[in-house]
Amino acid sequence: MKLLIIEDEAILLGEIESYMAEQGFLCEHAASYAAAEEKIALYQYDAVILDITLPDGNGLQLLQQLKRRHSEAGVLIVSAKDSLHDKLTGLNLGADDYITKPFHIEELNARINALIRRKSYYGNNVMLVDDDLQIDTTAKVASVKGQELTLTKKEYELLLYLVVNRRRMLSHQSIAEHLWGDNYDMTDNYNFVYLQIKNLRKKLTSATGHDYIKTVYGMGYKWAAP
Amino acid sequence: MNLLQKTTRLYLAATLLIMLLAGFTLFIVLKISVSDEMEEELMLQSDLVAESLTEGEMPHIPLTTITEMPPGAARAEAFGDTLVYDRVQHVSEDYHYYTVVKPVRGKLYRITVMDTYIGWNQYYTTILVIFLLMALLLGAAGAAINYLLTKTIWHPFFENLRSLQRFSVSSAEPLQLADAGINEFRELKGVLEDLTTRSRQEYNTLREFTENASHEIQTPLAIIRSKLDRMGQYPMSEEMSEHIVHAKLGVDRLTRMNKSLLLLAKLDNQLFEDKETVAFEEVVQEQVELMGELFAMKDISLAVERAPVKLKSNKYLCEVLVSNLLSNALRYTPEAGAVHVRLTPEAFVVANTGKPLEFPAERLFDRFKRSHAHPEATGLGLAIVFAICKVHAWKPAYLYKQGQHHFRAGFQ
Repeated sequence: MKLLIIEDEAILLGEIESYMAEQGFLCEHAASYAAAEEKIALYQYDAVILDITLPDGNGLQLLQQLKRRHSEAGVLIVSAKDSLHDKLTGLNLGADDYITKPFHIEELNARINALIRRKSYYGNNVMLVDDDLQIDTTAKVASVKGQELTLTKKEYELLLYLVVNRRRMLSHQSIAEHLWGDNYDMTDNYNFVYLQIKNLRKKLTSATGHDYIKTVYGMGYKWAAP
Repeated sequence: MNLLQKTTRLYLAATLLIMLLAGFTLFIVLKISVSDEMEEELMLQSDLVAESLTEGEMPHIPLTTITEMPPGAARAEAFGDTLVYDRVQHVSEDYHYYTVVKPVRGKLYRITVMDTYIGWNQYYTTILVIFLLMALLLGAAGAAINYLLTKTIWHPFFENLRSLQRFSVSSAEPLQLADAGINEFRELKGVLEDLTTRSRQEYNTLREFTENASHEIQTPLAIIRSKLDRMGQYPMSEEMSEHIVHAKLGVDRLTRMNKSLLLLAKLDNQLFEDKETVAFEEVVQEQVELMGELFAMKDISLAVERAPVKLKSNKYLCEVLVSNLLSNALRYTPEAGAVHVRLTPEAFVVANTGKPLEFPAERLFDRFKRSHAHPEATGLGLAIVFAICKVHAWKPAYLYKQGQHHFRAGFQ
């Protein structure tokens, strides 16, 4: 999977690039409008992470260029502005998703994965997590050895989030924001996350006999393959 | 008392006083000059009587008495008033008399002549009535002129006053004042327009600053957050992990606060002009579905009553309003408490059980006002609810009764 990251903030760019590379993406980056324009003209990408506030131009114009070239790339807009107007403009211009700074890198990864899954119509919508566990992202169900797990919507989302970011410890905040959005401040109450994890863990363990979710004490949770 | 009433009142009082004084003076002056004339006439008459006596005639003039006095009587003269009965009209009338003792051919005679005041009392009343009438007419004319002035000259003044009352530094339109065509008012208009223009400019600068600052903060926050997440991936001691968790909590709070401030700045800026017909009951339903389990996890019973309500509003803001009120209820309702959400065509109400407020209720919608028990809250959620209501001309209200907090957004 080829990914283009357009972001002018070097540190953030480095952080995104290294994480996405860890996830198996073939990453390229552009730190300016001009550089991004060149990359878009020369290469094809599966997905583009596009910061729309660039020092030398507006990212929305890059989006228009991509569309003019009939690019198949899924586009995720990154913006410092939590502006509905920008969001609607971006989505109308053909972007696939919109994320506001500051975000959790895992959330960015989950969004990129989701939009790539949506883009790939031909077939492979079943994620084989391991020999036992698989997730059908079209039907939104997880199954163990062909046996469907009865998960709530939130449990399913949590499972997918953990699996997609399986090499990473996910903080309470990251999980809470993924499941409930960032409108609710639940800083004081990670019980909500704990309870969701507990239920999911119970269901997974009873179906597979293996504890997939590792608790990182005081910090969060991590997917642990057997 | 308004300016016109005050000036009219003063004007009327002055008119009345001047009229009374003028009437009184007129009366005195008239009396003095009439008296002088009469006395002259009476003295002349007495002289004529004396002349007749000298010629040896005893004149018989009505109201004249001639008495012979014994020799050696004092030769005095005096004026005086007396009453004489009028047989025709059957009343006593005021008369002025002159009495003098004069020697005529070696004898002393006292001659008394009289003349009537010709209804002096009536003059008195006539003058009073005429002057009172004049005072009344002048007063009425003054009031009528003032009324007309209000209608014409003061009209632009009152129009401008109303524009000023409606004006707010945050309003989109600059202050527009009518020209009254009167120098004083024109000067006032100039000063006011200058003042409001400057206030608006300063307010706009401040607002833009808030918005820009909030945007600028987002990227550094993104860096800190990603680096903290990265650090959390390394194996570390329990102590170290605690430090990282605390730093993350700080970043989270800052993120939320910044987001809220940005939204407030935009609401102040009235950047949400795009209103559509929103099915409010659907918004409530979505938010309740999203948050329902959070209430369940805290063992809070959540009852929802929804009537279909269509509102001309901004959908995003409706979602924020509902989610903010629900998060507020979630945060402040004690475990095993109850939350009641009710949507009617009149209002959206969220009621939750809980202890009374520890600060005055009128400060509830203030920015950064929060309970001491929850220092981690941003204290901006209800301020945002308030601002959203303001943008839609809805009426926010709060009430505490029977152990329940009621938060209400009135639509009408």
